[in-house]
Amino acid sequence: MRNSGAVLILIFIVKLISQAAGVSAPGKPKLTSCRSPEKETFTCWWEPGEDGGLPTTYALYYHLENSETVYECPDYKTAGNNSCFFNKNDTSLWVNYNITVVATNALGKNISEPVEVDVAYIVQPNTPENVTAVVVDEDQGPFVRVSWEKPRTADTRSGWITLLYQLRVKQQKDKEWEEYNAGMQKYYNVFSLHPDTEFMVQVRCKPDHGFWSEWTQTTYIKMPDYIPRQRSLWIIITIFSVFIVLILTWTLNVKRNSVKLCLLPPVPGPKIKGFDKQLLKSGKTEEVFNSLVIQGFPPTIDYDDLLVEYLEVYDNEEQELVLDGKDLSEDCIKSKSPSDCDSGRGSCDSRTLLLEKCMVGRKGSGSDQHQYSQHGETSWASTESSECQGLEPGSPESSDGRVKTWPVVFSSPQPHHHYQAETVKPVYHSVPEILNHSSPHIMPTNYHHLHHQDIPQQEGRHGKPACRHSQSYNHFNLDGLNTPAPGVSPSRSLEYVEVQRVNPENMLLLRPLSDPNREPEGSDYAGEDYSKVKEVTSNNILLLRRDTSHHCVDDYSQASQCTTQQPPHPCKPVIYQSNSGMPQEGMRVMGNGYVDSTVLMPSY
Amino acid sequence: MSLTLCSPTLCLYFSLSLGLSLWAVAVLLVALLCLDPHSRVSSAPICTHGPSGCHVPSLADLFDRVIQHSARMHSLSNDLHSEFEQYFLPSKNSIGKIYRKCHTSSILTPNGKENAQKLAREELTEVILKLLMAWRDPLFQLHQSMAHQQDFNSFSSNKALEMGDMTHELRKGVEKVAEKMRVLGMLGNSVTGLSPAETMLPISDSGEAMSNYELLYCFRRDSNKVQNYLKILKCRIIPEHDC
Repeated sequence: MRNSGAVLILIFIVKLISQAAGVSAPGKPKLTSCRSPEKETFTCWWEPGEDGGLPTTYALYYHLENSETVYECPDYKTAGNNSCFFNKNDTSLWVNYNITVVATNALGKNISEPVEVDVAYIVQPNTPENVTAVVVDEDQGPFVRVSWEKPRTADTRSGWITLLYQLRVKQQKDKEWEEYNAGMQKYYNVFSLHPDTEFMVQVRCKPDHGFWSEWTQTTYIKMPDYIPRQRSLWIIITIFSVFIVLILTWTLNVKRNSVKLCLLPPVPGPKIKGFDKQLLKSGKTEEVFNSLVIQGFPPTIDYDDLLVEYLEVYDNEEQELVLDGKDLSEDCIKSKSPSDCDSGRGSCDSRTLLLEKCMVGRKGSGSDQHQYSQHGETSWASTESSECQGLEPGSPESSDGRVKTWPVVFSSPQPHHHYQAETVKPVYHSVPEILNHSSPHIMPTNYHHLHHQDIPQQEGRHGKPACRHSQSYNHFNLDGLNTPAPGVSPSRSLEYVEVQRVNPENMLLLRPLSDPNREPEGSDYAGEDYSKVKEVTSNNILLLRRDTSHHCVDDYSQASQCTTQQPPHPCKPVIYQSNSGMPQEGMRVMGNGYVDSTVLMPSY
Repeated sequence: MSLTLCSPTLCLYFSLSLGLSLWAVAVLLVALLCLDPHSRVSSAPICTHGPSGCHVPSLADLFDRVIQHSARMHSLSNDLHSEFEQYFLPSKNSIGKIYRKCHTSSILTPNGKENAQKLAREELTEVILKLLMAWRDPLFQLHQSMAHQQDFNSFSSNKALEMGDMTHELRKGVEKVAEKMRVLGMLGNSVTGLSPAETMLPISDSGEAMSNYELLYCFRRDSNKVQNYLKILKCRIIPEHDC
């Protein structure tokens, strides 16, 4: 008892001393892993604990399952430090190994935790060997064929171990590997790698039940530069497009006419009257455009001219009112106005009226021109405008193609000057024809040109009345155009005139009723459109008389009791001579003795 | 007009039939195109009527089939074992894990490559068959006990059931292989059928029934053995294929 007690105390003291000195028993070792590379041998590694400051030895002991026999590790060297290698003789499969490691030093020992190991489940093969990567060029494109060999130690030949392989590929710059399972084969084709880049390849293997081996060393392979061609697709596309092109061409060929019509529509030629395409081709633009210019086009209507303003009637003693029957449109007189025109209305069916008059008047008329002679003429003016000139410009009646002029009212109070209207004013119709047909001195339009040359000789002349009634006559010199007459616009609108006064020269001054410049002296005529007919003489002479207010002498013989205000207003015999000799028919006698003067307008 | 020859109903029938026929033709074409004969898993039927008029599987095919079976079996056992270990034995206490031997320990099995290679084909085949035979009943019991216990989910019990069936199938297959080999003259006649008396019961030395875990543990090992032995056998007999 005392001895044991003393020993205990001694040990305790030794421990205290050793602890004070910094040495102690070794720490507990730890078995880290046991691995078998080929399922025939295996190795165990341990981790030593603290050595306690003293040299420590380690020993591995094991015992098989269901056996108590403890064996020590047969080989501490082969596998390196802190390892134990079990060779083939010591390795039994499908048997549990109970392994412990014991650390021993001067002060004590320490035993690790036991570990149960079944060799069949701790297989971790070595890495595959001889990894080679080759670029194989094919029609589809180049690919990489990676091939390797099994690890040397693994015996797959006898079927003892079955290895499954795996490889991984990546570019240098990539982070992630791309893994492929190769199964049990020892090669693999990698497709769809980027051209002209370098790739890294690694391989590893695993038994059917076990751990993966380590990756092999990196194998580098460089992909060549190639252009991926998909030949079959291009062939199909080419054939298809050729087919479509053929079909389109054939269709176009069949329908070429309509295509041509659609793409190139026919250009319409110019259709300008008077436009000469040849001129255009010649390139002379001046001529081209000159031909387009129509003199006097557009027709400007001088509305002033249209207004019948004044009609000057000259009372010429020497001459009597001679009416050239031929000149006068006795046809006009007797022409029946189809309309029920009052004498006051200006334009009742004037067109048709004038037409008829045109037709009629032309028959007897040679020349259309109304010549005007200077002063001594008395002329009646017809307010009626005729438009026959325009209507039948090319009338065959005019032998010399003269334009017909119409008896129109003198439009201006100026007696003479106005007659010589310089302006040619074709109101209607084509001027060139007028131009062409006209002799140099024509265009008398708005005026009566009274030609008194032949007047005294031609028709019957009356004696000079005491009352000098102004005679107005229309002598329409239709035969010749001796005196050039300035162009006067041929057409006038129909309007009534009234006698303004009679000047001392026995000129009857007429003025249109619508004239705003009308003198108030003739105000008594303001509302009066009509002239009262005194009587009709046998030789178809209408004797108009003045208004009753004016108290005009209505007879030749009667002395005029004209007011002094006005020039003597003789009776104004409106003499119309109609060839047919039926003046009464031609004129319409109103009930109260008024004559519709419009009817009596000679129309030429 | 010209269409009066065809009455509306007749035209309708005609068009319908035409459409149906076209559709059928299209379907057939699609089926032919899509069903790649090479992608199909060709399963050669086991001829019951003998070699005439039937594709007789070769020995290599038989071996492949059997080996696939064994691999499947082993993976199942492995899964079950790890499940068991994970859920029911949290402590990784290795000491005293297995206190009892597997009931198949009495069967002498080679525990190394040399030992396995030393065995003749017949012996190896016999060992395989013995092993497979020994596990027929215990697996059935295992499934029964697992099905009854509430601890296991249906998936595990189904696995156990499948495992049992697969073992049965494997045994049958190996028997066929042996038969084939015997026919081909590769096997001698030393292989004898297992006598019913040699059926073992999974009773440990102490007489207690083994627990499920122990059964799974043992079966996992034995299935590994079977797979390995079969591979060795195959590579010994037909070395050119996957060896």
